[in-house]
Amino acid sequence: MRVAPLVAQGLSVSYGNRVVVDDVSLTLEAGTLTALVGANGAGKSTLLHLLQGRLTPSAGNVACDGMPIQSCRERVVLMPQRGRIDWAFPITVREFVALGEIGQRSFGCCDREAALQRVGLETLANRRLDALSGGQQQRALLARTLVQPSRVLLLDEPCAAIDPPSREQLLVLMRQLADSGQTLLVSNHDWGSALDLFDRVIVLDARVVADGPPAQVRRTLGSPLDRRELIHE
Amino acid sequence: MSELDLWLVPLLMALLVGVLCPVTGTLLVTQRRVLQANLISHAVLPGVAIAVAFGVDPAIGGVISGLLGSLAAERMQRGQQAGQEAVINTVLAGFLGLGVLLIPVLNIRLDLEALLFGDLLIVDWSDLFRVLIAAAAMALLLLTRYRQLVFLGVDPEGAQASGLPVRSLQLVQALVTSMVIVSAMAAVGVILVIGLLCAPVLPGLWRVGSLRAAMFQSALVGLALSAVGFLLAVPLNLPPGPLIGVVCMILLCLPRLRPANAG
Repeated sequence: MRVAPLVAQGLSVSYGNRVVVDDVSLTLEAGTLTALVGANGAGKSTLLHLLQGRLTPSAGNVACDGMPIQSCRERVVLMPQRGRIDWAFPITVREFVALGEIGQRSFGCCDREAALQRVGLETLANRRLDALSGGQQQRALLARTLVQPSRVLLLDEPCAAIDPPSREQLLVLMRQLADSGQTLLVSNHDWGSALDLFDRVIVLDARVVADGPPAQVRRTLGSPLDRRELIHE
Repeated sequence: MSELDLWLVPLLMALLVGVLCPVTGTLLVTQRRVLQANLISHAVLPGVAIAVAFGVDPAIGGVISGLLGSLAAERMQRGQQAGQEAVINTVLAGFLGLGVLLIPVLNIRLDLEALLFGDLLIVDWSDLFRVLIAAAAMALLLLTRYRQLVFLGVDPEGAQASGLPVRSLQLVQALVTSMVIVSAMAAVGVILVIGLLCAPVLPGLWRVGSLRAAMFQSALVGLALSAVGFLLAVPLNLPPGPLIGVVCMILLCLPRLRPANAG
């Protein structure tokens, strides 16, 4: 029997009296591209941190390849939101991508040069990071993530604050990664029509509101998916 | 002290500090930890006072005290989302106040003016030796942990998520920063050292492609600033430390050294 790369059961976490993630269970199958949709404050980032094992839940557990996440954290890689990065730091794109190699005994899907090629930044590798557009910066961040050996990639709002063509490029890239066997869970507050590129959609509002293929989730919640109550600030 | 020592030692001290401080400052500026360095520089005073009272090398007391100040601020910052700068400045004032109070309490004689603003013209070989030890510590840190320090600067959260020992790295960096600040104390004092840590870093930071290049460039600028400050101080008969501080500020006013979009 094949073991799923990532399984979460009954995850809950609260900040004070506020329940941020409430009894969330999910299983991510190998080679799938899953969208995690929800309003700002719906608990998406918190859930991603729980799934990576960096945040301890008040209830529930996470397993990677059948083992407790604490013993195999390195197999689940989280790509942070762009706001967490100091883009003005004096560093070239190549050196930035190479940071993914630090502390790793093996490469992820590829080494730094192959990762740069995969995201289409090989010709910009010697540029400073802050000389790139927002979309190119996101691709550089994804390349750094690809260098790290992983079974599951958790991408926290990779398409936020970038132009539509860059967003489309990133989505195609994510689709290609999933088709080549990588497991991806990608959060955003609104995917719009791009949702059809995903194998599965999980709608979160502290708890799982809907879960299934895009068409089924649309039927469950009504179209368009980004209804006012799901994108409240 | 021979006639040669009278000029050579202060000049060597100015040049060495002029290189070491900007290299350290490049790390601090790119990691946005300048405020922490300012705290360390002020927090050395209680340690210096206690060391003098017990007949220990003041530099040792200063390094320990500076590090304790940094750790105290870090601990008090936990859980504070908005008031982190306020916490650092409060601890800074607290340590400085404690140092001033310890002088009469311990009944010691301490030249506060020299400590705060430095006096390059009275430095000796032992001061120079302290700078060399601090430089060796910084070189060792860079040789063994350069890429980790880059990761820490560009994406501290990502560095932690990748399994880097971020807290130990920050602690070691704070220790080396304390050593650098204390070693530079004799030359430019704990107040003016901030100028030498920051000013040489800023002019070229926006155009270099690596932390290494930024350090090299800021070291050259720092060297030039210290040499200019020292060589101007002699004919003008002014104290070199404050003059180096003023030259650092003037550097920032030169428009050619600022990025085009900086206004």
